Amino acid sequence: MTVLHVSSLRKTYPGVVALDHIDLTLEAGKVHILAGENGAGKSTLIKVLTGLVTPDAGRVDMEGHDALADHALFARVAYVPQELSLFPTMTVAENMFMPFAKSGFGRMTVSRTAMEAAAQKLMTRFGMHARPGQKVGHISVPDQQLLQIARAASAGDFRVLILDEPTSSLTSSETEHLFSILRTLRDEGCAIVFVSHRMEEIFALGDTVTVLRNGRSVGTYPMTELDEGELIRLMSGNSVQLDERFQPGVASATQDIIVDVAHLSGPGFTDASFTLRRGEILGFAGLVGAGRSELMQTMFGYHRATAGRCVLDGREIPRGRPDRAVAMGMLYLPEERRHHGIFPLLSVRENIAVSVMDQIMGGGVISSGRERRVVADAIARFDVRTSSAEKKIMYLSGGNQQKAIIGRAMARRPRVLIFDEPTKGIDIGTKFQIYRIMQQLAEEGVGIILVSSEMAELQRCATRIITMHAGRITGSFDQATTDINTLVGAIIGAPEVRHVA
Amino acid sequence: MSLETTFPTTPPTPPRLPPLRRLAARCMRNPLGGVIAALVLIFGVSCLLSPHFLTGFNMMIMARALAFIGLVTIGQSILMILGELDLSVGAIGGLAGITGGMLMVQAGLNPWLSLVLCLLLGTACGMLNGVLITQLRLHSLVLTIGMAGVYGGAILVATKGVAITGVPVDISFLGRGLVYGVPVPFIVLLACLGVVAFVMVRTPVGRYVYAIGSNPDAARMLGLRVDAIRIAAFATAGFLSALAGILMVARLGTAQPSIGDTWVLAPIAAAVIGGVATTGGLGSPVGAVLGAVIIGMIENIIVLFGISPYWQSVVSGGIVVLAISFDSLARRYLHREA
Repeated sequence: MTVLHVSSLRKTYPGVVALDHIDLTLEAGKVHILAGENGAGKSTLIKVLTGLVTPDAGRVDMEGHDALADHALFARVAYVPQELSLFPTMTVAENMFMPFAKSGFGRMTVSRTAMEAAAQKLMTRFGMHARPGQKVGHISVPDQQLLQIARAASAGDFRVLILDEPTSSLTSSETEHLFSILRTLRDEGCAIVFVSHRMEEIFALGDTVTVLRNGRSVGTYPMTELDEGELIRLMSGNSVQLDERFQPGVASATQDIIVDVAHLSGPGFTDASFTLRRGEILGFAGLVGAGRSELMQTMFGYHRATAGRCVLDGREIPRGRPDRAVAMGMLYLPEERRHHGIFPLLSVRENIAVSVMDQIMGGGVISSGRERRVVADAIARFDVRTSSAEKKIMYLSGGNQQKAIIGRAMARRPRVLIFDEPTKGIDIGTKFQIYRIMQQLAEEGVGIILVSSEMAELQRCATRIITMHAGRITGSFDQATTDINTLVGAIIGAPEVRHVA
Repeated sequence: MSLETTFPTTPPTPPRLPPLRRLAARCMRNPLGGVIAALVLIFGVSCLLSPHFLTGFNMMIMARALAFIGLVTIGQSILMILGELDLSVGAIGGLAGITGGMLMVQAGLNPWLSLVLCLLLGTACGMLNGVLITQLRLHSLVLTIGMAGVYGGAILVATKGVAITGVPVDISFLGRGLVYGVPVPFIVLLACLGVVAFVMVRTPVGRYVYAIGSNPDAARMLGLRVDAIRIAAFATAGFLSALAGILMVARLGTAQPSIGDTWVLAPIAAAVIGGVATTGGLGSPVGAVLGAVIIGMIENIIVLFGISPYWQSVVSGGIVVLAISFDSLARRYLHREA
């Protein structure tokens, strides 16, 4: 049964065609995957489906009625955005039922007990572990994610549930829990739209897939007719070699130690010791919360170490001084791009130029000619897709923001580069571009650290893999000679851990 | 709201707009377009409404009055772009002025040496604000409310509320003098604005200020010396306030304890009118000073009109709100779906 049908959608923004000739049919009791690279138009399409954006042309029919004419019909679409948009200082129940008047809890005063009882029902249904009275800032990330879904569902009579990359901050068991809830909703007759870049999730959950590319629909296929390679080919438009490896060549392997970390302790990890050699890609594996990012940020000086030291090229990086670490040649590309990476209000040009001031100055003053050249060079070299260097970086897609940040880091010619989850939320074509950049840098003699939660990514790129569990390093493995079970054992903290390398 | 856009597959064609919108669109493409349009509008209306407005004497008066508020506005706008605020700028200006008066009159020090010492004092006060905020990780708004009390209290302790008269004439031309009919304080304002605008646009430190205001965490991750730049910005604001304070003493010929009382809120309003975001990362000192010009013109025309003093602040406040709305209304008009 068709729940939502859209036809011949077109939406343009100044200078950009975001969507063109889009047709989509959502069936009750089916999971419909939206696939496409960053910037293919998935987000714009979702905004049209939820009524946030009005298309320039085309129809949106909700159970046979024209939703563009009757906006109230969009209330039947529940939407879970990619970024958590909760009020962290308010309780779970308050978050669930805001605005109160609409949910029936705020006619005159807000009844806490009634609201929390109603919240508890929904929380049980969605398998949340938190209590209704807890502040959202204190509950776990998966619970926050489930709360977003519960909140969308609390509207009651929803027929369509749209989830935009809901798993990007979840571990695999949490993802499995989420999937079982989604399957229940599906069996109850809900039409689910699911956006993800993770192939295994797409194939585990999807019934149908619509592939978007450059704002156009490439086609809609039953999931059973496609395999992974075929889907990737449809998304990227050119063939990506799935078995391609990005380990730096043997020729570049050296024994020169660039970074030597000894007994370093800080917030979230204790007593970490390891070395990074020139020309290798050193992977860091572990669960979310194992302390990998904290270790990197402490080495870099963003957090203050409580014990131990980090030596770069024979010189110790002073504690709590990221500016000294950068001056010595260590750069860190953070996981949370939006929070730690980009300057959202500034243009692409300013975002790149801010870290290469010494190269674009003439006589103590910024030379705009030199600045334009350096920026244009970085944009071209790292294939940053933007209509203009003057565009604010917040309007770029996630993958292009990431490439701009890598371009910015590379323009400084670093000695050591730490990539923290560099491909989170990034499509496969761009992912492989980033792998190629890492490989090339390693071969040029830059020391590379790759923190990743994706085992496939580490196996594809890293020469050596260090595992962490609960704030401690549990092993160091040579990628070529280690099987995945050994690695997983070290990540989940299995008792017998072998040190191979 | 983030907007995911696609790379244009066809060359972008600028949307066809009706003529008025096209003109408006061209104005708004420049970040200063809104404030300049408002400025021209208010200036034109003022010329039509009062024959006394566009006279050399009135312009001179306005320029001189603008100079003091303008200097403070420059400092405050740097801090606002950085994502900070300093509510003690008025008290710093007053303290510097009073100290200048005491050094010159009571201690009999060389006026020029006194001037330099006052500027150093203002810089030190600003720097103290910055050090406390960065080292104790305090919110600038709260800390500077407290420090405004400290600096303002110091003025009262030093003067017991009595003005210091008899400031030497050596420095009075700084406040009262004219060069080719242009008041000296106004020239000082232009010089300071020129230097600051240049630093903000064409030097690394200026760019870092925008970066920190836009995302302080990212700035630290990038290895920018966030705390050092914050302290320097507070010191600059302190310096500019002290400069305004000492020029005011030179202008009045007496060091009044009330100097700086009105220098706190007006510069913030001016900066917002001029396009500086209260949340940081956006705007420019030039825009902020243009905003101060708008406020100055409004106050001037109200006086020329002879509006009852009781109504003056109602009218000027109302027009300030209108001027702030102008930019946002214009942008909404342009982005309205065609």
